[in-house]
Amino acid sequence: MMHDDDDMNTALMVDGNAVAGELQQIFGRDMTMAVARCSSCAADSALGALMAFVRGPGVVLRCPACETAIVRIVETASARYIDARGALYMRLEL
Amino acid sequence: MQPPQLEWQVAKVTAIRPETPQTKSFTLALPRWMAHQPGQHYDVRLTAPDGYRTERSYSVASEPERAGEIDLTVERIADGEVSSYLHDVLMTGDQLEVRGPVGGYFVWDIALGGPLMLIGGGSGVVPLMAMLRHRAARRSTIPARLLYSSRTQDDVIYKSELEAMARSDRELGIAYTFTRQAPSGWIGYHRRIDSAMLEEVMRPLGADIRTYVCGPTLLVEAVASTLVRMGLPAERIRTERFGPTGN
Repeated sequence: MMHDDDDMNTALMVDGNAVAGELQQIFGRDMTMAVARCSSCAADSALGALMAFVRGPGVVLRCPACETAIVRIVETASARYIDARGALYMRLEL
Repeated sequence: MQPPQLEWQVAKVTAIRPETPQTKSFTLALPRWMAHQPGQHYDVRLTAPDGYRTERSYSVASEPERAGEIDLTVERIADGEVSSYLHDVLMTGDQLEVRGPVGGYFVWDIALGGPLMLIGGGSGVVPLMAMLRHRAARRSTIPARLLYSSRTQDDVIYKSELEAMARSDRELGIAYTFTRQAPSGWIGYHRRIDSAMLEEVMRPLGADIRTYVCGPTLLVEAVASTLVRMGLPAERIRTERFGPTGN
């Protein structure tokens, strides 16, 4: 998963845990244990275990197996955009 | 249980305690306190006079048995706009906007059982300390080990408390490793965490363990992949990465 040329990206990466607060405020429940199935490689990962890139203008959560972007969240002055096309589905325990 | 609505609240800083040259613990009294799970964190939000806002997530260091307040231990990051505010500007009596507790992934409590293997690098020990303080507050006898990697002895957070815990608890073992300078006369580990070290520290716990790894991203990557190579099932390994460190 690690390549020599992306040490800086790897060093700045955190995990989905780091955006637990933002996700919980959006969805009204803890989402770090919700499981997303990657649309690209079909790996199942808890959102808390996704690779999170949070230093940009928004948040990008990537699949730890194949690095596909699972969820992207951007907030503007008036709205929040959530692009979750990288997930085939998310499973939330009742 | 999580609250249905997670909202920002204004905490009051009731104590500030330096832990090491680079870390301080902040005690926050919360008007809407609720018990956290050890390993959870709080988001801290700063708002500038011009409306610019920024937030960071910090692990709770204290045990949930302490009602009404939490401790956050924060490492000063060289260019960290939030951590330098907390270190240099925030004073006892000040107010601070926080949201939490959040996160259900990197959590442990005694109901989950053990044996418990905690591996921390630098300020990655903070959420692990919440787990150990909780375990101690409940007088749990679940076997536990902490493997704690620091640059030097001066960088060891909670040093005296950890030593007191280890002395008074036969089921708890703590191993330190120093990656830069070891204290004089040190006969323990003096290198980065590797598989030989992990095997030695983990051996007394047996095979059926719960493992929590927290620290700088590169340490967590290295330790987690070593654990998997050692044959530990991936679902028994929980990791939390916190990005770059102070230097």
